[in-house]
Amino acid sequence: MLVCCGTGCLANGSHGVYREFEKMLKYADHSVKVKAVTKATGCNGLCEMGPIVKILPDDIFYCRVKASDVEDIVRETLAGGRPVERLLYTDPATGKRVKSHRETDFYKNQQKIALRNIGEIDPANIDDYIQRGGYRALAKALDKMSAGEVIDEIEKSGIRGRGGAGFPTGRKWRHCAGANGATKYIVCNGDEGDPGAFMDRSIMEGDPHSIIEGMAIGAYAVGARKGYIYIRDEYSLALKSMSRAIEQAKERGYLGDSIMGSSHSFDMDIVRGGGAFVCGESSALIASIEGRIGEPRAKYIHATQRGLWDKPTVLNNVETWANVPVIIDRGSGWFNSIGTGKSKGTKVFSLVGKVQNTGLIEVPMGISLGKIIFDIGGGIPGGKAFKAVQTGGPSGGCIPGSMMDLEVDFESLGSAGSMMGSGGMIVMDEDTCMVEVARYYTKFLAEESCGKCLPCREGLRRMLDILNDICEGRGHKEDMDTLLEICEALREASLCALGKTAPNPVETTLRYFREEYLEHIQDKRCRAGVCPDLTEYYIDESLCRGCGLCAKNCPAGAITGQPGSAYIINHDLCTKCGRCRRVCKFGAVGIGGGAVV
Amino acid sequence: MRVIIDGRECLARRGEYLLDVAKRNGIFIPTLCHSDALPGQSSCRMCIVEVVEGGRSKTVASCVYPVLGDIEVKTNSDKIRRIRRTLVKLIHASSPAGKHMEDLLERYGPLPENRFEVAEGEKCMLCGLCVSACEALGTGAISTINRGTAKEVAPPFKEPPEACIGCGACAHVCPGDAIEMKEQGGIRTIWDRNFEMLECTGCGEYIMTRQQQEYIKAKDPEGTVELLCEKCKRKKTVDGFRDAFKNTGF
Ligand SMILES: Cc1cc2nc3c(=O)[nH]c(=O)nc-3n(C[C@H](O)[C@H](O)[C@H](O)COP(=O)(O)O)c2cc1C
Ligand code: SF4
Ligand code: SF4
Repeated sequence: MLVCCGTGCLANGSHGVYREFEKMLKYADHSVKVKAVTKATGCNGLCEMGPIVKILPDDIFYCRVKASDVEDIVRETLAGGRPVERLLYTDPATGKRVKSHRETDFYKNQQKIALRNIGEIDPANIDDYIQRGGYRALAKALDKMSAGEVIDEIEKSGIRGRGGAGFPTGRKWRHCAGANGATKYIVCNGDEGDPGAFMDRSIMEGDPHSIIEGMAIGAYAVGARKGYIYIRDEYSLALKSMSRAIEQAKERGYLGDSIMGSSHSFDMDIVRGGGAFVCGESSALIASIEGRIGEPRAKYIHATQRGLWDKPTVLNNVETWANVPVIIDRGSGWFNSIGTGKSKGTKVFSLVGKVQNTGLIEVPMGISLGKIIFDIGGGIPGGKAFKAVQTGGPSGGCIPGSMMDLEVDFESLGSAGSMMGSGGMIVMDEDTCMVEVARYYTKFLAEESCGKCLPCREGLRRMLDILNDICEGRGHKEDMDTLLEICEALREASLCALGKTAPNPVETTLRYFREEYLEHIQDKRCRAGVCPDLTEYYIDESLCRGCGLCAKNCPAGAITGQPGSAYIINHDLCTKCGRCRRVCKFGAVGIGGGAVV
Repeated sequence: MRVIIDGRECLARRGEYLLDVAKRNGIFIPTLCHSDALPGQSSCRMCIVEVVEGGRSKTVASCVYPVLGDIEVKTNSDKIRRIRRTLVKLIHASSPAGKHMEDLLERYGPLPENRFEVAEGEKCMLCGLCVSACEALGTGAISTINRGTAKEVAPPFKEPPEACIGCGACAHVCPGDAIEMKEQGGIRTIWDRNFEMLECTGCGEYIMTRQQQEYIKAKDPEGTVELLCEKCKRKKTVDGFRDAFKNTGF
């Protein structure tokens, strides 16, 4: 029996469920014929439905389990062998309850490599990891492969970095292996500064040994004896899980001197980071580990030549490291067969926003955006229209609903004006204002930029000024060109990738949703009703049935009328909260504003 | 290494920075935050150039770009000029009163009316030179605080900095003349602190603060701090020579 104890489920009380199981099973043993084993696992991905309990070997999948449900599960399922119907997952597409999570669209379309063990093992128990093939790849590399052969394998697999830029991992390792110097370092980037992202956290929490094994293999390949994993301070569970795993790995001889009897020695430490977004950038991260201020540096010389303490360094993302053992274990050919031309393997995304199934997913490269959002994500809730999806974190771009056939890989996301980034995916529906989206991300980036170089700091400051103006009804028509002019300066002249990618939100919304900018600027109207200064709610007389529900719900008391006849909004009192529009059952509250009404 | 800059063939040492190569060959690249004594700020990005290598073109900051192979460089392409002009507009909006604007306006002016709310009276463009100068001296009295658009240069807690020795290096390197330093009646005021000035034993001109003298002494307890201004120091050396020559009978 596996109780999900990832951060999402813990917040929903899964630990209470776990304790209740332990308590019940202690006393209920006489009626349970098999010996039940309860395990607390890492995140299952379907956080929306948490806490999640899985029962093996029948693979029964229960959602939103409360401590009070435990008694039923023990009596019905464990003792009686019957599923508890009401706790089973309801497939949003068919409305039917399904017994095993493998039957659901959410899981069916996924392919788990980096997340292979998550939700299946107890991360606190190294034997769980070993039982599922853990540390086999490390043994294989040390026993049967030369360092060069390991690099060959990684290079042939075609894997590219999962942390942002998508640099070929094998090439990075080869550079470092070939660099001069006896001292080299391995670094794992677990900063994960994208707001709302939790891919890396889930791996650190739910399968820490996969990272350790990956790093030990990487260290062997490039000739490093020391590694660091940088984890943001707020990730307390990940910190705990990683440090426990490192201790266990040391005890078992997977870390330390002469690993598994070989001549390879490798040790690693955790570095806790202050957690600014920009600290995730490689040169800033290295500066931060060195104890200096976490600001990017010009790096025309790669870290593989001169990185941590000026020594050759391989820096990879958590997810990249977690892929390494599987590639060595199953071979580069197998990995290379998954994905598209230049993007191999799978990618983990955190799917959030206006989508039915929010959570953590892992899909093969090349899957279409539509399949992710509609099949895995279950589509848009509340019958709303799908508008756009923002990929790649705060400096990613917005891809419009018309491009749902787009294959998700590094190249096509890039050519659409967005990027893979570390795997954020935010779904937006018709109630989203795309100008406001651009403003929101620009504000985030203006605050999170390190502020060192001029184009990034001043460019973002002025772009934000313009976007504020547009959202508040002070936009000029020339503003769109000014925005693009600043975007070019940012992209070309900024020092680090934060500034270079920061134009994405603005450029893509200008490219795909130009008419919304024009509406804001010329008509002084926000069609989504998001920008308060450009929004006016009105009640359509022909649709209003005079039920008065809107008036009852209006917190400002701005709606008046007589039951039975059409109600009216007093614009002087209206605070534009939009509640009337949400509560009206007849769709009679419309959004006007500006020149249109 | 062979580098072609704006069509001219220049020679460069491996690893030499592009800006230095250009300078040595008399090719002008504009800079604001560059100082030969404190290289590597790379914050103003005015020194961007286009580098063509293996058929691909990229924009780099020439002050920190090392020459590692045969490359072609365009310091003044349409794109580079366009971006520099955008940067100048941004600088003008944020630090219109800085001394650096004089030169920029001469070169890039007149600018169109600024679209943004101009930070009237602001002189600092946050290049970071002052902080680097103070760090290089080992005093570390000022630093940049906050990040992003909230970034500024300030002493700790924005109080008169205890570590400051009043040497004025920050004010001297500042391209914007943004750091106020006043001298009156033997007292120098900088960063809201007053420092007693010491006179040159030769001519009586004020040459350094007492804290500066103490700082130098503390760093090198064996050595002596000579209280002489540059002019008197030179005079003393020349006089010394003359005396020496005199004694040899020339
Ligand atoms: C502003 C900024 C933030 C970044 N944040 C992260 C992060 O949180 N985690 C990460 O792995 N990479 C992050 N990156 C990418 C890293 O710079 C680097 O490319 C990556 O860690 C390399 O590992 P990979 O090749 O395995 O992807 C960030 C980059 C930038 C410009
Ligand atoms: S681009 Fe932005 S984040 Fe990067 S160094 Fe420049 S100011 Fe800092
Ligand atoms: S005060 Fe002067 S030297 Fe210091 S950052 Fe501002 S402009 Fe640069």
